[in-house]
Amino acid sequence: MTDFLSAPDEAAALEQLHACHCTDGLPVVIPTDERVQRMILQSNLAGDLQLGVMGPAGNAATVEKIAVSAVMAGCLPDYMPIVIAAVQAILRPEFDLTEMQATTHCTAPLLIVNGPARVECGPVSSGFGALGPGHRANASIGRALRLAMINIGGGRPGTSDMALLGHPGKFTYCLAEDEQSSPFEPLHVSRGFAEQDSVVTVVGAEAPHSVMFSGNADLPDNASRLLDVLAIGLTNAATNNAVLGGGAATVVLNPEHALILAGAGLTREQICAELYQRCYFQMPADNPFRPIKSGKKSSGRSKRYCFNSPEQILLLMAGGSGLYSMVMPSWCAGGHKNSAVSIGFDANPYCEIPAFPASS
Amino acid sequence: MRDGIATARNGIPAIALVTEAFWPQGDFVAHSLGMPSFPRVQLPHPVAGSGLVNMRAIAEQMTPKIIEAFAA
Repeated sequence: MTDFLSAPDEAAALEQLHACHCTDGLPVVIPTDERVQRMILQSNLAGDLQLGVMGPAGNAATVEKIAVSAVMAGCLPDYMPIVIAAVQAILRPEFDLTEMQATTHCTAPLLIVNGPARVECGPVSSGFGALGPGHRANASIGRALRLAMINIGGGRPGTSDMALLGHPGKFTYCLAEDEQSSPFEPLHVSRGFAEQDSVVTVVGAEAPHSVMFSGNADLPDNASRLLDVLAIGLTNAATNNAVLGGGAATVVLNPEHALILAGAGLTREQICAELYQRCYFQMPADNPFRPIKSGKKSSGRSKRYCFNSPEQILLLMAGGSGLYSMVMPSWCAGGHKNSAVSIGFDANPYCEIPAFPASS
Repeated sequence: MRDGIATARNGIPAIALVTEAFWPQGDFVAHSLGMPSFPRVQLPHPVAGSGLVNMRAIAEQMTPKIIEAFAA
């Protein structure tokens, strides 16, 4: 089932993996058989179980190969259920992975973790700097998905991954929603799951764009002003969401901004609906870059909306408290417009892990 | 915190006002600048943008604590 590489020691093995372009350019944990088998155990799945075929290379995404990526990325076995679910998500046809891997656009799968797995398969951080360095689960889970996309999917820069510049989220791009502090129902509930379900949502995303807003509670239109600036960031005239339209986008509200909107009596659905209404261009195009095929037209055909529906806007709360929320426009191409996918999974596969020597 | 410590080092009595969300950062800065016990008063978070009435209420609530910190 498995072909093994051999090396005299771990340092030589690392050089070998770099030389055969099996890394992301950073050092990896050497995927020894023992480490990989332990990772497979935590998935409670058979190592040769095939989850699908990953493009553009068209290789079989088996649990064993995914476990190899998880080991290389530095995952703890506890993280494995999230990694498996994330791979299942990007393999769904509506995610358009093969095309996404090959695009010249700067897009990467953003992983959003909801439900008990945030704690039981992590902890996956959702507070200060959740998308930055210093959070082991966030860093290694997202990295495992990327290494799978490299080594199973075959996405390598300049030959099969044609991103003109890429973005740092292509190393890792994973966070949890701050469900405890959020005034809104969790993202996964809005996508049809129960609150106690563990869910990973994967969406193609550009690097985070900062949206600064210094609220003033004395202004009656405080919330409306915040929605206005979020919409400007989400579909500014240079984004694919404005030019191509019809794709998803992500809004990460910081706690203060979430409270401003909740304080105005807005629910998650109403916020998305308000943003949808604000993200449009007048026809004939008032966008100097001339949106070529943006989303849905208004009934009088005087407007071209950037989204097909409010549901294409993924809204969550995360990050520290302050002036800055984040928006992530998306690629908006592929046969299914690189749709967001949510996968529910068992955070506790109930598989006992044998004692693992500290020296391994 | 940094401004307060700089002010104190210039011989002017000072305390730092730090909101709850940034309290750990205040501790870190105080330690890194060599004044871990620099006096500070915790404010609720957020203060900025929370409205004139709320900000006035915070000021009234905190003023005795600030005076107390100076007197300590």
